[in-house]
Amino acid sequence: MSDTAELTTGGDGERILDSQAAEGLGSDLASALAVAEPQGVYSGITACPILALPGDLFVIGAASSVDAVTRNGHVRGSGAVGNTGGAKRPLIPLDIDRPEHTKYRKLLDPIFAAKKIAPLETDIRALADELIDAFIDRGHADIYDEFCAILPSTIFLRVMGIPTSDLDYFLDFKNDLLRDFPGETAATREARIASAAERCYAYFNTILDERQTRGAPGDDLLGRLLTADVEGHQLTRENILDICYLLMIAGLDTVAASLSCILAWLARHPAERDRIVAHPEMWPDAIEELMRWETPVPAATRTPTVDVRIGEETVPAGTHVSVLWAAANLDPEKFKDPLTVDLTRRPNPHYSFAAGFHRCLGSHLARMELRAALDQFHTRIPNYRVPEGVELTYEAIPVRLARPLPLVWSA
Amino acid sequence: MRLTLDSGACMGHGRCYSLAPELFDADDEGHSVLVNPNVPPGQDKLARDAQESCPEQAITLDEA
Repeated sequence: MSDTAELTTGGDGERILDSQAAEGLGSDLASALAVAEPQGVYSGITACPILALPGDLFVIGAASSVDAVTRNGHVRGSGAVGNTGGAKRPLIPLDIDRPEHTKYRKLLDPIFAAKKIAPLETDIRALADELIDAFIDRGHADIYDEFCAILPSTIFLRVMGIPTSDLDYFLDFKNDLLRDFPGETAATREARIASAAERCYAYFNTILDERQTRGAPGDDLLGRLLTADVEGHQLTRENILDICYLLMIAGLDTVAASLSCILAWLARHPAERDRIVAHPEMWPDAIEELMRWETPVPAATRTPTVDVRIGEETVPAGTHVSVLWAAANLDPEKFKDPLTVDLTRRPNPHYSFAAGFHRCLGSHLARMELRAALDQFHTRIPNYRVPEGVELTYEAIPVRLARPLPLVWSA
Repeated sequence: MRLTLDSGACMGHGRCYSLAPELFDADDEGHSVLVNPNVPPGQDKLARDAQESCPEQAITLDEA
């Protein structure tokens, strides 16, 4: 990646573009991580409690340091300082600290709670089947484009209450906001992001206006936001937009990326895959382990709002800290034989959905989607491989993903 | 063997009630509720898995 590239940062499940953090990590490191097995690089970072880089930037990858920052009780995301994926204001709830944070999570957590989203599983399996129907007889497909990218985005739009006919429109926003386009100048890039952000705010404003004009807020997520009572107050339009914006940049491709990483790993490890196919009850533990190993959202910016002591360093309040979940997930202080993939690993207290009170809001939905989609895929296509002579290409930042993901099987 | 849950430290990861649904349940926000502090016979391993899988270390287990 170029040295103006962004490090994606997660939290409340979403990503923030943070050029400062990326510059701290360096473009060489970013390219060293864009490989099938970047774990050797990440695990090297766990040994050091904290790396202090020029420009008041700190990087942490040791589990104990990550715990110190995420559990101190006073921390937010990047706070929309600088380029936050084109957002005009701090994103809600990632970029705000407690106690205000708590009132938004009390509103949003029940919508994404495990029991609440469980009934969606039937829909997800049906959608997975529909997608698989389109390519199974062909005996080959780019599984990223034809499966991984479409399934979670479609479910996300259904949860939000946005017509799924707008899927392509949404994928365009998301790509314009989050992807790098080779050869683009910094000015063109900035203009592209600003324009996508404008279109995105305008899109949500139009939908929200329509519902309010009709007097029919709806019983989906947008409807819940329109009618929410937060400590005796309705949410303002800006509050709703700042929530939607975050959900969009967090929800549209994190699960797609996770699916692609897991399917790519299983394609490269057929014996392990065959074990799961023979024992599908292994899926929950296997998914947790592959989420630990792959860490599809590898890093996040956290900004403590009080001074935090880590190792020999004091991180002053207001300083950006680049938190490497992918490194903490390989810390031998936390995980036995961290560089071994054990699909039955227990316990597995991994950091792939962040930690602390900015824990990924969508983690229960993500886990259920992964389990349903992977189980359905392997029921239909249990035996597949990467075509002869093809080496998979990975992206490391802002999300780790395998794209394209060409797979072949006996039709 | 006895479990305790620090509700203030629980961030709703849901690992405990996924692993040990007879010992933990989820509330409406997805946070954990300890339903059975006294670990019944045969649930020792699940209790330990749940305790050690909590990313927030919100669960303690008294082995006595």
